[in-house]
Amino acid sequence: MLFNSLEYALFLPIVFLLYWFVFKNNLKSQNVFLLLASYFFYACWNWKFLVLIISSTLINYYFGRWISEKTKNAKFFLWTGIIINLVILGFFKYYNFFIENFVEIFRIFGTELNIIPLKIILPIGISFYTFQGIAYLTDIYRKDFKPSDNFLSFSIFITFFPQLVAGPIERASDLLPQINNKRIFNYNQAVTGLKLIALGLFEKIVIADNCAILVNSIYDNYTAESGSTLFFGAILFSFQIYGDFCGYSHIAIGSANLLGFNLTKNFNYPYLAQNIADFWRRWHISFSYWLRDYIYFPLGGSKKGEYKKIRNLTIVFLISGIWHGADWTFVIYGAIHALLYIIFIYYRKWTKNIRIFSSKITDTLYDFTAIATTFVILTVARVFFRAENYSESVEYLKRMFSESLFEKPNMSRFFIVLMFGFLFLEWLQKDKEHLLDLSDVRSKATRYSIYLAVLFLVFYNVGNRQDFIYFQF
Amino acid sequence: MKVFFKKISFFLTAIFVVWFLVECFYRFVPNNYTEKHKNIQNNYNKTEVLIFGNSHTFYGLNPKYFDQSSYNIANISQSIYFDKLLFDRHIDGFKDLKYVVLNIEYTSLSQKDNTMEDFWRKYFYQAQMDLEVSIIPFYDIRQYSLALSRSFKNSINSINQYYKNGTITECDEFGWGNIYTYENRRLNLDELAVRTVRKHEDNSMDFEVNMQRIKSIIKKCNEKNIRIILVSMPVHKSYSEKVNHEKVKAIHSVAENLAREHSNTSYINLFYDENFLDDDFFDPDHLNNKGAEKCSEIVNEFIKQNN
Repeated sequence: MLFNSLEYALFLPIVFLLYWFVFKNNLKSQNVFLLLASYFFYACWNWKFLVLIISSTLINYYFGRWISEKTKNAKFFLWTGIIINLVILGFFKYYNFFIENFVEIFRIFGTELNIIPLKIILPIGISFYTFQGIAYLTDIYRKDFKPSDNFLSFSIFITFFPQLVAGPIERASDLLPQINNKRIFNYNQAVTGLKLIALGLFEKIVIADNCAILVNSIYDNYTAESGSTLFFGAILFSFQIYGDFCGYSHIAIGSANLLGFNLTKNFNYPYLAQNIADFWRRWHISFSYWLRDYIYFPLGGSKKGEYKKIRNLTIVFLISGIWHGADWTFVIYGAIHALLYIIFIYYRKWTKNIRIFSSKITDTLYDFTAIATTFVILTVARVFFRAENYSESVEYLKRMFSESLFEKPNMSRFFIVLMFGFLFLEWLQKDKEHLLDLSDVRSKATRYSIYLAVLFLVFYNVGNRQDFIYFQF
Repeated sequence: MKVFFKKISFFLTAIFVVWFLVECFYRFVPNNYTEKHKNIQNNYNKTEVLIFGNSHTFYGLNPKYFDQSSYNIANISQSIYFDKLLFDRHIDGFKDLKYVVLNIEYTSLSQKDNTMEDFWRKYFYQAQMDLEVSIIPFYDIRQYSLALSRSFKNSINSINQYYKNGTITECDEFGWGNIYTYENRRLNLDELAVRTVRKHEDNSMDFEVNMQRIKSIIKKCNEKNIRIILVSMPVHKSYSEKVNHEKVKAIHSVAENLAREHSNTSYINLFYDENFLDDDFFDPDHLNNKGAEKCSEIVNEFIKQNN
């Protein structure tokens, strides 16, 4: 059941009504209902994987308790729990990748191995709930959080349907107390939720899905396109993936708001970032912070010398890359980000962020240049993310950076207006919580007209449905 | 909570009104499905040749050019699955049916059920052609609302078309698709062919399910003493050059074998027919009205010779 489907448009209101009208008086019954709704949501995709998610819940629940209770063996239980989580994730997501590369390495040395890759279906959301489980175990080990003694609450923490399949990756300290405490309907929270759902649908259906049609066509036929078309194709993909994932996150947070929950903000106008460090503070925030808290800091962060800082950053970005998918293109994508991040750190250190001229106009120009440069660099790196394989990425980039880069792109102006119009609106709203926060618009008629226009655009564009890109991760 | 519901009711009312109007549009304005369903029943007593298939026969075989009374029940993107459903639904109603024409195209044998092509069409077949479409699950609410089955953009386009032309029906009283005219034909056939071939390529050579369906139609026709004519419709060379030739060979071989194995079955292969020139095509894989005349006469001549 996708968030942009008719099924979800029916599922959510039914859950909302039952949740607030039938089960509102008893926290336990409300939670039981929430868990069943979450299981139903997951089962709509593939009911067989309910076994997997329930197993994952049981493993993390009991290991969390053992880490807390058996303090002498806490480290052992922590590592065993983490390894079990990673083995499950590794089997479903990376088994074939490792096998194929293993066979390839042996082939290089002249030995043909006859290992056939398995036909494995990747369980939806596995990367997200596995990371959530690992964070839970680590927080308990660090004594940042006491283990849950309520299996029902913990099961909801792992399977809460709005964020089950593509995040935000929630911390137990944020979500579990909300599950354990009685929720009271809050008008403002619910209205914000609806606005976020409308915004998310707009980002997914109007921005991402429209871009997807052209991006697919350009990438499928990139050998016949000019450099300028390929360049705009790469830019369109940046908007597609943003609309897709940010849209998903907004719908997730909005749906949770309707049920009285607050989830972590996952995007904060990432394409207004002025450098790569700024970008990672704005893009997939829950994942960036997860990497920081559970990989970068435990490795020593930036406090153990320059060499270790570079090493740790490289490890973090390589993990970030491979997390996105079992392919070398994702590893390269991660490596490029590591390189850019390291270059940026030293650039900032040496230049000390000094601006030779400083006035309102030059500062604005500087900001604009920084935003544009960051965006273009990240867009070029994303070619590795989108292309089918390494050679296609290289070929795409070669063709893009050729003489034909300066030709007129073979693309409708509509897309260029759509993308940059959207970015301009974000720039106008950059100090607001989200794009549809119209608290400054005093006229009720204007506000309602904008909401209706958004709804119209969403409904008008519904139909050429594309799956959410991040579902495959 | 009351204020919340009061405010969202404003938006819900707007959505509901639009939904209701679009639903009324689909329920009351005649379209290909309603017209074909009505006309085929009106023609039960006189039809001697019944034409099935997808857009290739819908636009490419015009009953007007057949000597015998004919009806074209083909439709855009109509798969063999729906051909079979329509055949089963109507076959017993015909009093004097002598020939069934069924097209065998590059896409038809390997086509899976319930693809994006069928996404909204299946609901129209069920609601407006009185078919029991088993690929629609019982819990799918789109079967109760045609407005929900099509994208809003397409609905707006259809409404716009209705106000411009006064109709959204794109076939004549004999079921022939009459909007692909010589005057409106596409000129960039080579460019279009690349996209069309890509769209049609499913990389599948699994013909079994659809072959069984055709065999079942042949069997039933045999019982009723009806002859089956399998036709591979003409396509422009820009299309035929780009498709997978191995697959084309396999498809044609299946059709030839069916004709060989069943005494009531014949096969006409026009896929590479060079008598069809650029001017006969509307686009790389569809004939225009001029090409349809030529193709219909070929099939009609075949029927006359085998009568």
